[in-house]
Amino acid sequence: MAEFSALLTAKAEWKPHQIAKAGDLATLAAAATTLAETVKSTLSLASAGMEVVKLLATLQNINPLLMALDKLADEVLKQIQDIKEAGYWYLYVDPYYEGNVTPKQKYNYGFEQLRNKAGKRIWEVKDKGGNWSDQSGLPTLAQLNEGVAKPRYASPRKLIPGGYDSTQPLLDPLRNANEGGASKFPQFTVKEVITEFIKAFDDEGDVPRYKLLGEVSSAPKAGAIVYDVDGNSYTGWNPKKDFGLELFNIGKQQEEAGKVKNFVAARKALNSKQSVGKPSILGNTAFDGGSGAIAIIIASGDFQEFVSVFNKFSQMFSDIPEFAPNTGQNLLDSLEAIITPNQVTVKLTQVDTKFSSFVVGDIIGGKIYNSIGEIAEIVEDSVVPTVMIGRKAVSATDDVGMITTVMKDFDMNENERWIDMEVIVNPIRNLDGLNPWIAGDMVLEMEQRGTSGTEGDDVFPNYVFKGGDTTELPKELRIYPKVAIVAMEKLMILPDSTPPDFGGIQIKDIVPGWGEFFQLLENFVLQLKGMISDSAAFIQDMIDMIKQVEEFLQYLIDLIDEFLKFFQITLPSQGVYALYIPNQSGGNEGIKQELKNAQGIPDLGYAAGLLFVGTEGDKLIAGGGSKNPIDLLALVLGLL
Amino acid sequence: MAEENKWKEAELRRDDIKKLLENTKQLAEMYSEIIGIKKAGWENVLRGKVKKAEKEKEKQNG
Repeated sequence: MAEFSALLTAKAEWKPHQIAKAGDLATLAAAATTLAETVKSTLSLASAGMEVVKLLATLQNINPLLMALDKLADEVLKQIQDIKEAGYWYLYVDPYYEGNVTPKQKYNYGFEQLRNKAGKRIWEVKDKGGNWSDQSGLPTLAQLNEGVAKPRYASPRKLIPGGYDSTQPLLDPLRNANEGGASKFPQFTVKEVITEFIKAFDDEGDVPRYKLLGEVSSAPKAGAIVYDVDGNSYTGWNPKKDFGLELFNIGKQQEEAGKVKNFVAARKALNSKQSVGKPSILGNTAFDGGSGAIAIIIASGDFQEFVSVFNKFSQMFSDIPEFAPNTGQNLLDSLEAIITPNQVTVKLTQVDTKFSSFVVGDIIGGKIYNSIGEIAEIVEDSVVPTVMIGRKAVSATDDVGMITTVMKDFDMNENERWIDMEVIVNPIRNLDGLNPWIAGDMVLEMEQRGTSGTEGDDVFPNYVFKGGDTTELPKELRIYPKVAIVAMEKLMILPDSTPPDFGGIQIKDIVPGWGEFFQLLENFVLQLKGMISDSAAFIQDMIDMIKQVEEFLQYLIDLIDEFLKFFQITLPSQGVYALYIPNQSGGNEGIKQELKNAQGIPDLGYAAGLLFVGTEGDKLIAGGGSKNPIDLLALVLGLL
Repeated sequence: MAEENKWKEAELRRDDIKKLLENTKQLAEMYSEIIGIKKAGWENVLRGKVKKAEKEKEKQNG
C-alpha cells in the first residue's frame, strides 16, 4: 500500500494550453467548426434546393464550387482538430499583473543627502586648517573612513528611499538603475525570469492536484481505504486534503452475496482534477521522455517600453487565459496604472500666501509621508480664506472701575493671509511607490535635483523640497517654499477603464453575431427540409432569409478582415526574446539544462516570461515531421 | 545541444490563427456565393409565378 501526503501549494503554476479550450480564440475555433459543419450539412440540401428551383443548368456549373467548398470545410475541421490535439503546458511568470512572483523595488532608506542643482551629491570636507566646506566632488573612501569627509545631510534629517547608503557611500543611490541604482518601478530581471522557469520544474507542489467531489460529510471518513483508477488500494485518505491522483471509493451497487461483481462500474469517484501540474505524461512528474520547449521573455531596460511591448504580446497571445481581455481592469490598464496613476483631489488648508499661493504645474510633496504630485488643476471656487478663529482674553472696565476679563473669539486670518484650496494632483511615484496624502501632513513646494532611472522615457526627476539646502543659512539667505497643510484627500470617481486597442475586433464581440448567424442557418436548413409549399409568400420569405444570411456572411467577412489585420503583422522583435528547444530526449531535466545554459539574452531590468513545454505523443504532427506539438508551435510562431 | 540553442530576438507570428481565420473567411465567401445563386433561382421562380398568375388573371378576365 502506498502512503501519500497532502501537497503544497505552488504559485507560478503550469497550465495546459489548447487554443480550442481557452479565451476568445477558442470561441473562434468553435464557431469556425460550426460554420464548417453547417456548410457541409447544407451542401446536399443546396443541390436539392437547386433542383426545386429548376436551375439544373446552374447546378452543373456550381458543382465544382460545391466540391471545393466541401473540401475547404474539411480543411477547416482538420485544422481545428490539429489545434485541439496540439496541447502544451505553459508557465507564465508574471511580476506585474496578478503577480505570481514578486518584483523587487530597488532602494534603501537612508538620510537625505543634499544635492546641487546638477543633481550631484554634496559632501562636507575638512581642509588642513580644520574648516569644513561643501563640495560636490566625490571624496575618497579613505577620507570618509578617516572622518575628514562626510555626506551633507538635509536639515532636519530625513529618512528617504534612495538616501545615503553608508555601506556603499561612493555609489550614488540614484545612479542608472541598470547599474544597480534605485528604480522607480519594481524590477524583475531577465535572469530572475529564467530562474523561475527552471525552478518551476522542481516545484514539488506543482503536480496534478485532485479535489474532493461533493461534501466532506458524504465522503469516506479519514483513514478509510481508497482506490486509484487501476484498483490499487491506498491508506492515508483524508477528505479535507488534496491529493495527487484520481481516487475512488469501492462501490456498493451490483453486489451479490457481499461481493462486488463489476468494480469499474460500481466504483464512485471521490475527487476531480483541479490543476495539471508540471509537464508530464499521465501524471508522471519525473517525466524523462521526449520533450521540447519554447521560452519567450519580454524584457526591456525601460519600464514604459516594457509595457508597450508586453501589451502587443498579450494581444497576440490572447488565447492564453491570463492575457484574455476581460471585464474590469485589464492587463494594460493595470500596467498603465503603475506608470500613470489616477488623479487625486487634495484639499489644502492654511496655504500661506506670504510665500505665494500654489499654481498649476507646481510640484508638491508631503513632508512626513513622502507623497509627491504635480498640481494639474485648481478647483474653481475652491479658493477661500481659511477660517482661523482664535480665543483671546478681553478686559473691560465698568463704570465703577471694576475690571472683568472675558474670553472672546477673534479672526486670526483677518487679512486673509491663509487660504484654503482644492487641487487636482497627478500623483508621482516615489522610489518607494505611490504614497497617500494624509490629513495634517505639511505640503511643501518641490524642485528637481538630479534624476533616477535608466534612459529615454525611463529617466525621472528626483524631487526635493525647495530650499532644503538653505535651512542652515542665515535667515535672509534662506529660500522658503510654498507651504500648506493637507486637510484631506477627496475620493475621486475612477475614470472609465481604457479599452485595449484590440477591443473593437475581439472575437467575443463577433460571437453574438455568429450565434444569430447559426440560428439563421439552422432555420434555413429546416425550411429547406420542410419545403412542400411553393406559395409565392414562402418563396419571398426564402429570398429574404437568404438576403439576411448573405448580409451576415459579409459582416462576418469584414470582421475577420479586421481581426486578420492584427495577425498579419508580426510582433516587433525588439524587446521579445525567444528560445526554442526542439524535441529532446532528456525530459524535464534536459529542458532545465538548456534553459540554464542558453546564452544571448541581456539581463534587462523589467521582464516577464512565458514558457511552453510540449511532450512527445504517439502521432506524427507538424506535417509529419515531429511527434511533439512544440515543433508545430515553433512553426506557427515563426521560430523555424 | 546546449551551445546550439540560443536566445534570439524574435519576430513572433500567429500563423495558426491567421490560417484558421483565412480559411473561415474563404468558407464564408464561397458559401455566400452558393446561396447567392440559390437566391437568384428563387427570384426567377417567384417572377415566373407572378407572371403565371397575371396570365391566369388575364385569361379569367377574358
